[in-house]
Amino acid sequence: MNVIDNFIGGTFALFSDPVGILVFLGGVLGGMLFGAIPGVSMLTLAAILLPFTAHLSAEHGIMLFSVIYCTGVYGGAITAILFNIPGAPENAPTAFDGYPMTQKGQAGKAVGAAVMCSALGGTVSAIVMMVATAPIANWAISAFGPPEIFALVFFGLAVAASVGAKTFWKGWLSILAGLLIAIVGLDPVGGIARYDFGMPYLLAGIHFIPVILGFFAVAEIFVQAEKKVTGSFKAPKVGVAFPSLGELLAHKIAVVRSIIIGFFCGILPGIGATLAAFMGYNEAVRWSKKPEEFGTGKLEGVISSETANNAATGAAMIPLLALGLPGGALTAMMVGVFQMHDMEPGPLVFLTSADLVWVVFAAMFFANLSILLIGYLETRTIINLLKVPFQFLAPLILMLATIGAYAVRGLSVDVVAMFVAGVVGFFLRRSGYSLPGIVLGLILGRIGEQTFAQAMQMLHFEWTGFAGRPIALALIVAGFLTLLSSIYGAFFKKRKTSDA
Amino acid sequence: MKIKNHLATAALTLTAMTLSANVAYAACATDDLPDSMDGPGGFPERALTMIVPYGPAGGSGQVAQAMAEAVTELTGVAINRDHKPGGSGSVGMTAYMAQPADGYSVLEHIDDAASAHALDSSQPNPAEDLIPLVTSQITFSQIYIRANEDRFTDWDSFVEWVKAQDGKATIANVSKEGSMERVNMKFITDATGMKIQQISFDKGSPRYGALAGGQVDALFEQPGDVRTFLDAGTFKPILTLLKEAPDVFADVPSLTDAGFDFEPLLRFRGFYVHKDAPEDRVKWLQWAFQKAYCQESYQKYNESKFMTLIESFRDTEGSRDLITSTIKLYRDVYKEMGLSAN
Repeated sequence: MNVIDNFIGGTFALFSDPVGILVFLGGVLGGMLFGAIPGVSMLTLAAILLPFTAHLSAEHGIMLFSVIYCTGVYGGAITAILFNIPGAPENAPTAFDGYPMTQKGQAGKAVGAAVMCSALGGTVSAIVMMVATAPIANWAISAFGPPEIFALVFFGLAVAASVGAKTFWKGWLSILAGLLIAIVGLDPVGGIARYDFGMPYLLAGIHFIPVILGFFAVAEIFVQAEKKVTGSFKAPKVGVAFPSLGELLAHKIAVVRSIIIGFFCGILPGIGATLAAFMGYNEAVRWSKKPEEFGTGKLEGVISSETANNAATGAAMIPLLALGLPGGALTAMMVGVFQMHDMEPGPLVFLTSADLVWVVFAAMFFANLSILLIGYLETRTIINLLKVPFQFLAPLILMLATIGAYAVRGLSVDVVAMFVAGVVGFFLRRSGYSLPGIVLGLILGRIGEQTFAQAMQMLHFEWTGFAGRPIALALIVAGFLTLLSSIYGAFFKKRKTSDA
Repeated sequence: MKIKNHLATAALTLTAMTLSANVAYAACATDDLPDSMDGPGGFPERALTMIVPYGPAGGSGQVAQAMAEAVTELTGVAINRDHKPGGSGSVGMTAYMAQPADGYSVLEHIDDAASAHALDSSQPNPAEDLIPLVTSQITFSQIYIRANEDRFTDWDSFVEWVKAQDGKATIANVSKEGSMERVNMKFITDATGMKIQQISFDKGSPRYGALAGGQVDALFEQPGDVRTFLDAGTFKPILTLLKEAPDVFADVPSLTDAGFDFEPLLRFRGFYVHKDAPEDRVKWLQWAFQKAYCQESYQKYNESKFMTLIESFRDTEGSRDLITSTIKLYRDVYKEMGLSAN
């Protein structure tokens, strides 16, 4: 009952302090707003606010960042669904099915599902965080080293090859194209330059955000513009109907699965919400009886992605608070907030600043709940943006996407990469290749290459070393089984069907 | 042996500079600079831009923020930080060199800029192609183990244990060959004759997690970056890569205590302006950045990062000396390592 007492204490401390309430509300609204505007993100807001947190108390400063984290991860889903522009990388898989739903006139349903599942994923994650931060953090870093993370990436890639491509070969070629793009820049082991063609900016590699913006936002503008020119353009229907309780309950397994995946990815340092969203989406495809329907506007796609990315938020606080290990950029900035107040996150925080920890926990819990209320209001209003005629909306989207691409690292090469991806995406869409597969290859390629190199170094360059690590072995076996099953599905099953 | 002597001489210069600076700047290095200074012709009339070639959350991002705030506190001039990470700092450097040399843009950089020039002379030399405004952080490295480790408890038992593993022992380190961390580790393994597998982590958090979680046996790092773990009693330093251990780490063997005769490479971070920037503006920037070093907020920040254990301050000439000595040192090491140096 200690947890409940502490939670009630944290809640009381949060809501009995007018400044605390203001900071909380500011964080909730700011996170949603910055998350929803492509070109800026919750990280932009966090970077702007960081110096000002010195003037807040430690409690308020850290609480502000944790609240921004919760609502910022949700905020990016809106533009992903309405305009095919993920507000943040963790919302990219949401666009895979969310935007086709908008085109079918089901924007309200998609946004509603995102609202409810983000709130649910985040709230459950916050509860687990409150109950078992220290033991989970210690387990995660002991059980999951580079070999296990590489195995997880391998498994993810094996699943991703079956997402969105028309054939087995096109699925794998899409993944391999992503992996190929991922090797541009300095290699993560020896710092050797690869495929930079003498251009220093390419040493930084091709970032996945411009590629996502190009593939989804820019290519979509081209597709719609083509339809406009050929006279086949149809404005999306504006549907504000929320998903029914029955529809959500029908996806309860997907929700539970995504919560587990999201939470799990969140607690691993350096992995975080983006991979959580992709893995949540991939697993939904893998377990589906109709995987071919994903990418065409399937509610489960939105549910899986949005549940997983918010489930990662509470989880990411676990290694930060228990061990002082930030899981991503925003939690790393939180370390800065701690330090501004002469504190360091880590095991001592629970002993020396228990009150602060419980105010933060309570704030994260209520921030996730508030997504429900504010998200509901947002759904009723923001969807009307779809009524803006295409000729006005398209330049606005292009402008926001351009800002978004540049804002990632302040490099003009990213804007070029975005437009190149837009043109490539425009043609690839017609040829049955998988754009999500390329994006996932790009994201996982970087993590996979690094963890593979680390794993091989740790295992003294002996492949059999993976067999001595049960979790890694299980994931690799699962990856191979997935691969074999997709080969069977692509060739033998088809042959049997045609023979019959 | 000739190279070793070379290294010893060059590094001795670095150490001597560090120690003399320690004595000379007991209070704060720039207390004697004027409290205010008018900019030439009203300069700066708008906010300055600081290009930071690393992300906002790392050591460079944090020192850039602390220095920018200190300069703003002192002068009232806003500084916008523009992070351009990638390519081990080379992307930010390239972006900076393309900026107009009007004094409105400054650069934060670390010793990687010196080692990059040592490896490839076509890369900018921070001591010649740029004007160092101030070096505001200089620190040393240590080797850490888990505090609850029972296979070894100190440097001697660690070396003995590593040797018994015949190359199977592991240490988490940064990834880039020829980096300060890798070169220092080479000095250590060469001197002890121990074989240890270095596991490449390019980000701090997974590197620290690897030690905390028992994925690796030891960690190479600077104390400021793992202060949380030291304060919490999770990590324990077993070797300080300095000739003499600072008071805070008096019970941790220094290089001399452990019987090493090499001179360690140091990590340093500083701020620069383009060499073609107008001279009068450079003077104002030198004053602003050097004076800001002694602002209370900046000193507090440096202290929190263990950056006051050895003298962290260098003015323009001191920075040039530091960079030039470092480049020479790296060139010698790279030749010895067979890395192309020109």
